[in-house]
Amino acid sequence: MNKRLAAILAEVFGLRESQIHPDLTKADVGTWDSLKQMDLVMSLEREYDIALEIPDILRMVSVAGIIQMLKDKGVTLEVERAGLGN
Amino acid sequence: MEIKGAVALVTGGAQGLGFAIASHLSGLGATVVVADRNAEALAGLPEHLDPKQVDVTRPEEVKAAVAEIIARHGRLDILINNAGVIFSEPFVNIMNPDAMMHDYGRYRDSLIANLDSVFIVTSAVVEQMVRRRIKGAIVSISSISAQGNEGQTAYSAAKAGVNAMTVTWSKELGRWGIRCNAVAPGFVDTPSTRGALNESVLKHVQSSTPLRRLGKAREVAQAVAALIENDFMNGVVLNVNGGLTI
Repeated sequence: MNKRLAAILAEVFGLRESQIHPDLTKADVGTWDSLKQMDLVMSLEREYDIALEIPDILRMVSVAGIIQMLKDKGVTLEVERAGLGN
Repeated sequence: MEIKGAVALVTGGAQGLGFAIASHLSGLGATVVVADRNAEALAGLPEHLDPKQVDVTRPEEVKAAVAEIIARHGRLDILINNAGVIFSEPFVNIMNPDAMMHDYGRYRDSLIANLDSVFIVTSAVVEQMVRRRIKGAIVSISSISAQGNEGQTAYSAAKAGVNAMTVTWSKELGRWGIRCNAVAPGFVDTPSTRGALNESVLKHVQSSTPLRRLGKAREVAQAVAALIENDFMNGVVLNVNGGLTI
């Protein structure tokens, strides 16, 4: 999970970053209503310097969907790893 | 927001206060569409104001009008919710024992004209602003009567509702960059004020106002322009009443 994106989602929905994962959907998050959706749009536009249209916004109903939408907009989301390990 | 170059819609703008607001915004360089149900008054508008006949209490009519305005001018940046009807009726009329209490039908009519209309037009305009991601400005004309004014149960309730919707929308729509404010005039020298209040009441109003006069329509228009131009004003109900409290 990309750390910047996880931080944005956690802040918008009032979750811990550790709770953010690609399988998370709107149905799983009680605070994910239309107002929070609008807050999320503004946060993503500001963070990634993109402009979202209504069809983009409608696709944003899961973390995986948000990741795909950002990729389609040309945003590179690198996944930071906790450590190299053995 | 810069008024020059913006496209504005002023409801009830063919006469009185609305006409003063429309003219003021046009003078500041906006393209102004005047929506009014009065065809005769619209026909008499100066050429620099774009007339549009519409009844703001009919949602489908309003939606079609907004779509047509956007098709013609390309965008809509400013909405002034001015349309309304001053209405007075005592809650209890002891002189009419057969129908002593405020008529419910007239109460509903006043709420439709002064409160529902604001909801209907704002709803149609904001939908277009959101879809087009326009950071618009909405100013609704409230009234000093929103504080509660004897003899104006329905009108006071409607205008208090306008204030509440203004603040609510400022909170919901601020994240889209759409600002919602209101101007609450006191008693302004317009034909509708003079039609609603007799001479003795007008004299009493003037003597009760610290500035000892009625307001001018232009002064309300200046307040409207200030709320449009200042990008950090949001959720404000701006009193323009000469210091009068009721």
